[in-house]
Amino acid sequence: MEQMDRAYVEQLERENTALKAALREAEEANQAKSRFLSNMSHDIRTPMNAIVGMTAIGLAHIDEKARVHDCLDKIQTASAHLMSLVNDVLDMSRIDSGRMVLNSEEFSLADLVHDVAVIVRPQAAQKKQSLQLRIDGIREEYLVGDPLRLRQILVNIIGNAVKYTQDGGDIQASFAQRPAPDRKKPAVWLDFICQDNGIGMSQEFLERIFLPFERVQNAAVSKIEGTGLGMSIVKRLVDSMEGAITVDSREGQGSRFQISLPLPISPAVRREPSLPLGQTVLVAERREKNARQLAAYLEQGGLKPVPMAAGLQAVTWLTEAQYEGQMPCALVLGQELIDMPVLDLAAHVRQLAGSDFPILLASEDDWAQIEYRAVRAGVSAFVPCPLFPSRLLSTLSSLTAGTGPESRTPDGQEEDYSSFRILLVEDNELNQEIAMEMLGMTGIQVETADDGAQAVDKFRNSPEGWYDLILMDVQMPVMNGYDATRTIRALPRPDAARVCIVAMTANAFLEDVRLSQEAGMNEHISKPVDVDRLMKILRGQLRPKAAKG
Amino acid sequence: MQPYQEEYLSNLRQFAALSQRARPGALSYEQYAARMAEVKEQIVRLGRRNIELLRAGLFPVLDNLFDTGTQELEELEDFSFQLFNGQTELDVGLACQIHQALLSLARMRRDRSAMIRELYWLGLSRNSTVSKLVGLELSDIEEYIARMRLCFTEAAAYLKFYDEIDDAETRGYILRSRANMALGQFSSPSAKIALLKTTLKILQDEDYQEKAPSLTWERFIYLTHQNITSSISHSRDRVMTPEDMADIMESAYIVYQQRFEEAEMQGKQPPAKSAFAYYAIEYYCGLYDLDTFLAKIEGLLNAADPSDYSRDGIYNMISLPAFYSQYLEQYPDRIPPRREYIEDLYLRILTYADLFPGDLGDSNLFLYLRQLSLTFVETGGVPYGDFLERLLLRFAPGIFCHSHVVGEGARALCAVILEDDPGFFDDIDFIRDAPSPAEKRRTALEFAMGCGVFHDMGKISVIELYSRTPRQWFEEEYDMARLHTLAGHILLEPHPSTSRYAPAALGHHAWYDGSRGYPARYRRLDCPARQMVDVIGLIDWLEAATNSTQMYTGVQKTFQEAVQAAIELEGKRFSPLLTAYLRDPRVAGQLQSALEAGRQNAYRRMYGDALRTVPGQS
Repeated sequence: MEQMDRAYVEQLERENTALKAALREAEEANQAKSRFLSNMSHDIRTPMNAIVGMTAIGLAHIDEKARVHDCLDKIQTASAHLMSLVNDVLDMSRIDSGRMVLNSEEFSLADLVHDVAVIVRPQAAQKKQSLQLRIDGIREEYLVGDPLRLRQILVNIIGNAVKYTQDGGDIQASFAQRPAPDRKKPAVWLDFICQDNGIGMSQEFLERIFLPFERVQNAAVSKIEGTGLGMSIVKRLVDSMEGAITVDSREGQGSRFQISLPLPISPAVRREPSLPLGQTVLVAERREKNARQLAAYLEQGGLKPVPMAAGLQAVTWLTEAQYEGQMPCALVLGQELIDMPVLDLAAHVRQLAGSDFPILLASEDDWAQIEYRAVRAGVSAFVPCPLFPSRLLSTLSSLTAGTGPESRTPDGQEEDYSSFRILLVEDNELNQEIAMEMLGMTGIQVETADDGAQAVDKFRNSPEGWYDLILMDVQMPVMNGYDATRTIRALPRPDAARVCIVAMTANAFLEDVRLSQEAGMNEHISKPVDVDRLMKILRGQLRPKAAKG
Repeated sequence: MQPYQEEYLSNLRQFAALSQRARPGALSYEQYAARMAEVKEQIVRLGRRNIELLRAGLFPVLDNLFDTGTQELEELEDFSFQLFNGQTELDVGLACQIHQALLSLARMRRDRSAMIRELYWLGLSRNSTVSKLVGLELSDIEEYIARMRLCFTEAAAYLKFYDEIDDAETRGYILRSRANMALGQFSSPSAKIALLKTTLKILQDEDYQEKAPSLTWERFIYLTHQNITSSISHSRDRVMTPEDMADIMESAYIVYQQRFEEAEMQGKQPPAKSAFAYYAIEYYCGLYDLDTFLAKIEGLLNAADPSDYSRDGIYNMISLPAFYSQYLEQYPDRIPPRREYIEDLYLRILTYADLFPGDLGDSNLFLYLRQLSLTFVETGGVPYGDFLERLLLRFAPGIFCHSHVVGEGARALCAVILEDDPGFFDDIDFIRDAPSPAEKRRTALEFAMGCGVFHDMGKISVIELYSRTPRQWFEEEYDMARLHTLAGHILLEPHPSTSRYAPAALGHHAWYDGSRGYPARYRRLDCPARQMVDVIGLIDWLEAATNSTQMYTGVQKTFQEAVQAAIELEGKRFSPLLTAYLRDPRVAGQLQSALEAGRQNAYRRMYGDALRTVPGQS
């Protein structure tokens, strides 16, 4: 009886303990839920307040377009933040409920890294931080995994570094690979390290960093936006990819995140780019690391790099090489030079070396931002940084394959102009011949007219849409280019209004540009005609159609 | 030469004469104003004629350049040398265009000698343009310097094939190009010195000399030493290596010491220019301290002859004070004990400029005064704003007149706005904080006038484009002219009497919605004075569209057309708060009258100033 009582009491005590534990868990869960709700309401209210407030200010200044614009910009920022908060909460919920399914698809590591760079670079630039993205020993560029979720992980980590590093601080993110012999299929470990010299974290906080809604709390970060969910999501995503994440940090000194992910290698076989083996490539870059990397990749492709840090040195070398008939097969421009902006060098080399000389720009800049200036300066193609050898070599391969550089997109892909037809209107026989020669390189079909009146007749008698572009000299006998353009534009047929007409003239005053526009011309090329400018116009005017077609 | 070329050159000379400040002589104000209007008409006519000449004569040649005969090409080359030959600078921009075209032709024909020659002349023309872009940050003009230097570099690269080139002329171009690579500013003095040292080695190489004995080697070498010594002025606030110092000292010895010895032997004082340069080098090389150096300059300043109007005289009277001010600006603690001395110095300069004989031409005097404007130390006795205004009045009457008209127009528009909304300019602290409504209004109207008067001040940094180019601009010139906003800001911002006008100089070509306009550095919403900058931008545009000589853009409108065009740009280029006023015909009429009255007042100021500053007039 006594034994039974003791057993009963023990059981009661056990149940009691279990109940207490359950109660504690329930209370903790309840507290977490309350904290979640409290945080959520705070986090949602903050951007909502901004949206409501800025809307009110915008309405109060509705006549001031610039002020309204400013308000809308701020509303857009707050809305984006609100949207990311909602997305994070949904992601957390999906992961916790086991509904998150990772994709398994082939992706390019180069694409992934460049996508990430495009997102995080402007954020760092806004805070005048030095953000260096480096790749080191990448042997396998095509892997299998979920690129969307991988991007989410990388953007979160680097984005956090940007947020929690002071203006002007340094952030370094690197990607490396090592073999993963322990995996069933051929795979690599992708090691990603992100290190900053920002505000860092306390040891106490480090223990809670991967819990939801945990954020560094101090005065320095009180104005930093964030849901406190990012790190929890990263942790859960890394776990579900069977990877590992570690973090080291010291308050006031910075943080270092390291993520290692096992990723299968794509089984697809790729064709090696064909390159002019053994030929020299002039590399103009002052940053030693970049120059070394460029040289190493070029050597990897069987080319001979000749590095130069100064623009003047490069021009001297090229002039001598040209005279001696030993031109390099291309010029690769890096990020910066000792003595001048790289695009100034590009512009001069384009004149010096002619229109078919490949000039490639390897830059950290966003191509969309610099395209206009770079193409105008004579850059034939663009390779984004961090630099992947495959990108560099395949672009070079397409540029050195024998046809003109202008027939390619910035990524080096060839464009086909043979389906386009140009009407070349030029009274001077030699000029006509030279233009024909220039245009001949593109494969484009060219018809000619000797004066404006002939051009009008040819256009009038052609089927609709026959000509894609008209190159129009301005000063011509019988009918000048302005009158011819006006006459064509006034013809009662749908393509008369939309056909692209480009003025070719030595009249280089601003007023001449205006006059040609007023006559209905779309573009203006100065004479003597610069091949490069002509090619740029072809690309600008005909490429959009090529894309459509 | 072709007749169109001769006529163009003659027009340029006529234009230069017309651009000189008109002397009133015995003319009454009315006669003077009528003459000013007539001069303006003549300038417009010359500009139009020049444009016609280029269209009918030059452009067809460039149009068919590959097909042009030898004689015509030689005439073209000759024409370009008449426009610019290193000494005479009638139209450097046009010379650049011609050399660029001839270079393309030479490249096409693979004519090495022609290529080297054209690269040299293109580089030299560009250098002439770049060297006149004063008062701007290196980063703002870096692209123009690079373009110039790349031309010389490409020509100099043929040094490797020196032996194969058999004509001395081409060899001379190669060597001169090599030396000219060091022209212009560098971000590091060591880079410049290193370039020059290599050049010096080449020039001193007997092998090169023997192959072209007809070249003036001694002169080349001397000029290179001179260029090395001038590196010191580029390195004021940058660290130089001991090796650089040693090189500079060595060159300085060659350039100056010999000159001192020669002067001593003749029982004369060495020229102040050489003495100053030598003192500066000794100071930089640590031979004595700043106070000793300043005392030495003061000695030179005190010895300057105020009746010497030669080039050396102008240097002593104006350029030396500019350098002196530069050191004081760098070490402001040295200013208080010298306050009276500086004021006396500046008054002396103004008197000297006032009495400068008209028949000697104004261009050198202007260049030196512009140099002083960049280093001016404002002590209160001679306000910087007054100095700048006098500079415009005397040397850029067209810009003065336009600025004055914009000031009066802006004041008129602000008066109307303040009637409606007295708090319109309250983002500007000194207007908001005015002690009474009347005072607030007065402050705002004064500010409007000042912003107008100084908004185009930066044009003095690119004056050749505005005052010496009687034709439309080429694209590159238009880009360069845009620098006047940055230059104006740099000129006005550091000085107490003008700093409040700096935003107007910077932002008056920016668009209200930020979609276009320049410079990128101006951020409208960050600028507390933006409402006033908007006013200046609008009035400046109206005045330029209706009343300037219009040689630059070729667009001219009546006042009504301009108002209509401004309204069409509402919310884009111009603030809708301002264009709303233009919709009221009464306000538009007031504005038109204010602009016309502004012009008359500007002429009156110019007349008074011309009378005051010409000896014998009272």
